[in-house]
Amino acid sequence: MQLLEMKGITKLYADDLVANDSVDFSLEEREIHAIVGENGAGKTTLMKILYGLEQPDSGSILFRGVKKSIHSPLDANRLGIGMVHQHFKLIPDFTVAENVVLGIEPLRAKIFVDHVTAAREIRRVIESHGFSIDPNARVRSLTVGQMQQVEIVKMLYRKAELLILDEPTSVLTEQEIDSLFSTLRSLREDGKTCIIITHKLQEVMDISDRVTVMRKGGVVAVRSTSEVDKAELSRLMVGKNMLFQLDRKYAACGDSALEFKDVTIRQRGSNRPLLDRVNLTVRSCEIVGVAGVSGNGLGELEDSAAGLRRIDSGQILFDGQDISGLSTGELRARGLAYVPADRLHRGSSLSSTVTENLIVTNHHNFLRAGFLKSGKIRHYATKLVESFAIDGGPRIAIGTLSGGNIQKVILARELTGEAKIVVVSEPTWGLDVASSQFVYEKILEMRSAGAGILFISSNLDEIIGIADSIAVMYRGKVVGFLRNEQDQSKEFKEFIGEYMLGLRDDFVSPDDFVSRDDFAVRAKGESS
Amino acid sequence: MKGRQSASGVLSTVMGLALTILFSFGLVILLIFLLSKMPAKTIYAFFIGPFSNKYYLGNMLNVAVPLIFTGLGIAVAFKSSVFNLGGEGQVYAGGLAATIACLAIPHAPGLVGMALALVAAATVSAAIAGFSGFFRMKWDADEMISSFLLSAAVALVCNYFITGPFDDPNNNILSTYPIAKQFGLLKIFPPSKLNVSAFLAIAAAILVYIFMNKTHAGYEMRMCGLNREFSRYGGIKVSRYLVLPMILSGALHGLGGGLMVLGTYQAAIKGFSFGMGWNGIAVALIARNNPLGVLPAALLFAYLDAGAKSAMLGGDVTFEIASIAQSFIFYLVTAQALYDIVRKRRRA
Repeated sequence: MQLLEMKGITKLYADDLVANDSVDFSLEEREIHAIVGENGAGKTTLMKILYGLEQPDSGSILFRGVKKSIHSPLDANRLGIGMVHQHFKLIPDFTVAENVVLGIEPLRAKIFVDHVTAAREIRRVIESHGFSIDPNARVRSLTVGQMQQVEIVKMLYRKAELLILDEPTSVLTEQEIDSLFSTLRSLREDGKTCIIITHKLQEVMDISDRVTVMRKGGVVAVRSTSEVDKAELSRLMVGKNMLFQLDRKYAACGDSALEFKDVTIRQRGSNRPLLDRVNLTVRSCEIVGVAGVSGNGLGELEDSAAGLRRIDSGQILFDGQDISGLSTGELRARGLAYVPADRLHRGSSLSSTVTENLIVTNHHNFLRAGFLKSGKIRHYATKLVESFAIDGGPRIAIGTLSGGNIQKVILARELTGEAKIVVVSEPTWGLDVASSQFVYEKILEMRSAGAGILFISSNLDEIIGIADSIAVMYRGKVVGFLRNEQDQSKEFKEFIGEYMLGLRDDFVSPDDFVSRDDFAVRAKGESS
Repeated sequence: MKGRQSASGVLSTVMGLALTILFSFGLVILLIFLLSKMPAKTIYAFFIGPFSNKYYLGNMLNVAVPLIFTGLGIAVAFKSSVFNLGGEGQVYAGGLAATIACLAIPHAPGLVGMALALVAAATVSAAIAGFSGFFRMKWDADEMISSFLLSAAVALVCNYFITGPFDDPNNNILSTYPIAKQFGLLKIFPPSKLNVSAFLAIAAAILVYIFMNKTHAGYEMRMCGLNREFSRYGGIKVSRYLVLPMILSGALHGLGGGLMVLGTYQAAIKGFSFGMGWNGIAVALIARNNPLGVLPAALLFAYLDAGAKSAMLGGDVTFEIASIAQSFIFYLVTAQALYDIVRKRRRA
């Protein structure tokens, strides 16, 4: 039976940016429906309209055959539509139960929050769906996967019949993805309907019953998942055949470029180490991938490598010289290029023009007597905008660009010219296949040009795809270090996933690759 | 598409300002109807009076001059996300410093004395404002608070000098000895007080605009103002740009005060620059911190001022009507601007 039908949905942003162009979308009851498409294809806009976060300019929504207008998420909740956002909307200092009931707390005497009833209700939801969270735990102490479960419980507690999940797997490990998927399947058994927005085609194949492919604001295909394969989906998404294929060979060509020696960073005010005696070496012409679940020290590693965070002990060496304590500016002068995970705040100045963003690292090169040479700068910016195919132009505010284009501006700035060491963090987060491919190619170019690359990412697929060796971090420690052989098999990913989740403690010394021939590990020396 | 978006942004800003100004004019008219026994005559005096003769017109333009300097001072600081609330004290101290410099060299040639006086004014006020920037850089002390407090203290010190050591007993107002005749700026629109400082104000606005938009330091300052983390990430020495904007802002305030003395008063009178600092903030906010926008914004404030004076003489209302209109504009404009600032600070 048809649960939902969206007909002729059109949404315009600004003057002539068509986010949705008379989109028809329908949903059967009790199905898991994937929506795939590149960045800017209109997936999120369509879901925002369904969830009442945006109003369509034209078109209609039929829910259970009745025409509805959804003006706010509250309207959507009332119809039984719930959304799990990509960025969780949770309060870290509240317990799971408090977060779940927030806004619709059961009351005693109409004044006091009835925590007992709330906890009992929530426990019922948790148990009936096989979640693994304690309603009384503080959200701060949960893993990312558990936080996502809280978001799902929140929606189920609100009696959601239709769940919208926006890129739910982008922050999860292999194991957590498996568990999310089995949750979704059990929800389907219970008669719920799910929409899952994703970039990853393998997930579409694994979980969905049907798939809607969007491109440039319109729907290009609706298929049963059993009748398509990844290649066809990929072709439908980008309009041409494009597969994740990288031309890369292992080639360590140089001496040590960047070295972490027993680097420790402690949380301010407590003794908890955020980085715990990290040892890591990135040589020139080498890509060292750092994998880990967010919150396990990846951010601190990024910040300290880029000179934006003081280390408490240990040393960071750059070509043999101690560089701990130098500012980003001083590191840049020595050959650092840096693509940060936080693109919108750290990596760009949103209200400045593309040109102003492009020259922040090298405007010193365009000076005459203290004045900026505007002609030279214009020429330089135009050249970069063209060679990196950045939409818009050099003179518009970067904040008006899409996420993918903002990242291109950052890449254009950081990966043009010479660099000895490149720190890259979550470079393809939220990007579509074509943009990601472009990012990888640029990074490989830098490697060919002799740079050493520290590639930090929570996306294991891309690390396996691009890195020469893989360091795995867990709770601030490097718990595994492997030579990478681009093995995309599920077993290998799970093997690394076990390190990421702290399930293995057999790693000893960074001088020693963990052998992965039989996924066994040799212990050598004593445990650090 | 994007170009049009920003163009429509500018348009809506201008529309908003126009509405604000129309509202305030409406308020003035309403007040006059309520308070005046001869509203038609008073309204005429308020709106047309400032243009009715050369004396009024010139004096109105002359009032705009220090407002341009204080407005520029604030615009420079706010563009860099550094918040100088000490304008009052800095203008006052600048005026006093210029006076003292002139009194110290009564026989120097005119141009030398003027130059020295202005250098003294700019230096003293730059130092006062610079302190707050330095404290911010060194100990992360909020420059908004420290500049405000310092300004309040500086004003009292200036009062002491004007009514104490430098007090001229030969006149019956609280003022210093007059500066030597040759230091007075050339009048350009007699019989009004308008003088060559008006050209300096226009030049200052253009120079500040060029500095902010075309120079290396201006670029780095703007980037720091928009996003300090991005600037540090890009390799800009951000701590420097907590101090430099304060120094520039202070210097511009000081020049405003110094030019008032040289051009208009020929002495430092107690409280002569009262309100110039705060009104400078309003001017900068109306101009959205655009140095060139400061010129019309300062003129608007001067017009309201002159209108009220004219209505007082040619009609039957008090001068406070101008203050009410000015504060009405101030509230409407700052509501939006402060919202932006708070949002920016929260992010920074």
